[in-house]
Amino acid sequence: MEKVLMKGNEALAEGALIAGCRGFFGYPITPSSEIAEYMARKLPGLGGVFVQAESELAAINMVYGGSSTGTRVMTASSGPGISLKQEGISFIAEAELPCLIVNVSRGGPGLGGIQPSQADYFQATRGGGHGDYRVIVLAPSGTQEMMDYTIEAFDLADRYRTPVMIMAEGTLGNIMEPIIVRDPVEKFYDKPWAITGCKGRKPNIVNTLHLASDFLEERNRILQAKYKLIEQNEKRAETFLTDDADVIVVAFGLMARIVKKAVMEARKNGVKAGLIRPITLWPFPDEHFKKVAETARMVLSVEISMGQMVEDIRLSVNGRVPVEFYGRIGFTPNPEEITQQLLLLAEREGF
Amino acid sequence: MGNISVFAGGFGSGKSEIALNFALDAAKKPIEEGKVILADLDLVNPFFASREAKHQLEENGVRLLGPRADLIFGDVPQLPPEIIGIIGQDNNMVIDLAGDEIGSLVLGYLSSVIKMRDQMDFFLVLNPYRPFACDIDSVESLKNMLEAASKTKITAIISNPNLVEETDIEVIVKGHAKVQEYADHMHMPLRYLTVEERFYDQLLPQYGSLLRKISLYLRPGWLQVF
Repeated sequence: MEKVLMKGNEALAEGALIAGCRGFFGYPITPSSEIAEYMARKLPGLGGVFVQAESELAAINMVYGGSSTGTRVMTASSGPGISLKQEGISFIAEAELPCLIVNVSRGGPGLGGIQPSQADYFQATRGGGHGDYRVIVLAPSGTQEMMDYTIEAFDLADRYRTPVMIMAEGTLGNIMEPIIVRDPVEKFYDKPWAITGCKGRKPNIVNTLHLASDFLEERNRILQAKYKLIEQNEKRAETFLTDDADVIVVAFGLMARIVKKAVMEARKNGVKAGLIRPITLWPFPDEHFKKVAETARMVLSVEISMGQMVEDIRLSVNGRVPVEFYGRIGFTPNPEEITQQLLLLAEREGF
Repeated sequence: MGNISVFAGGFGSGKSEIALNFALDAAKKPIEEGKVILADLDLVNPFFASREAKHQLEENGVRLLGPRADLIFGDVPQLPPEIIGIIGQDNNMVIDLAGDEIGSLVLGYLSSVIKMRDQMDFFLVLNPYRPFACDIDSVESLKNMLEAASKTKITAIISNPNLVEETDIEVIVKGHAKVQEYADHMHMPLRYLTVEERFYDQLLPQYGSLLRKISLYLRPGWLQVF
């Protein structure tokens, strides 16, 4: 099959169309804007709806409305825009509406800058919104995965009736790579809960206001049971040369590919390094860390942030192995500096 | 006044890499010493813009005209204030525009000044493996939109068929044939076929003087690892 050369953002947008997404509601922000542009070009011709909303808050509530009708819908933004959408994400989680939310991340806090970043890890995995809810978070590491994980994200969203987030550094949204364009998705889920114009059935009501104490608690228990199921089924990670590694480097997204190069360089210099790349940031793939906690002497988290995922790694290894951190923001750590970091650790620790 | 070469095209068609190569190649000629200027007028997307190769350009005697250092990630459309003055001077200028019609708007603003130069090449860079350059209708509408936005007629096409790291001879030959079809259909001259150095010798007998070798200055070296 002939490949095409696509930017990460374009591949993600095309992936959404392949998955049958027919509604995009957004407010443009660098470095995610190509997604909106792509959808604006393509959706009208496919009988879909593209709305450039008046604000991020409006956009996420249009996603709420669009998803209520059973249509596959999405929004895309970057950190500051995702902050504004948090209220809506909490509502969507409780209304159990499937949708895709994309964060092509830039540097914060505040207005920050548009340099690639991973400092929205807390925002994505802990949620900035209120209440006991979770969002499945997928972290692609290349352009092909931007397409493939998007297709998968819509499937997960429908299967669990939950918002799914894709998180990618700004560079990943903008870098071009050759990819295979997938076939259109043909199998869709029944959505008996959707608001489709009530005829000959009981009305469907999508609502998140629960004034009675026992019903509020019941709703929370239902959500928690679902999150438990997701935790059981959906934890994913990629491992690379971990079996004999003295030091395990952990990185996600495009950053993981840079780390992979550093791991190989470190091995050439006699340091046995390996890589764990979390693919689902929530649920965090803690099982993968249980094994390396027995065999490795050290874990190093490399992030384009001041240290966020490192907290989940520490929870996962639970004190059985020391966890170090290396991160930058404004710059993406390059393979040479990570290799250097690994060599320094090996020298300090004597392995 | 010297030559001016402007590179336009769709997003990600390879404009910036080609502009960098043209500027660096020109600077190798003794007669052009100190006269080559690369104007990075990508006002749309600051990722992978030619300004990232500032160091290499300056080391090789090319003056970079672009956003101020502290505004490289400014994410606002800003033109170097001296641009009009410099276009009016005697130099060899390479202009790298942002993608699509939105990226060519700035040329519309500069077009009246640029028309005073003796010679101007306005190149449409096409990579047929990009989603919005893979059929003749898309390419023709792109060409029309670029010309309308820039108030300037495109003078020639540059064929840049590639899948970056996954490019091979077949990718180039098949892709170039497609670009040749676009050119014939639009009755436009095809000036260059740009290929990475590793393919140059093998393709030279087939394409002769059409062939032009380029190096990739903006591509990160770790991308091959997956």
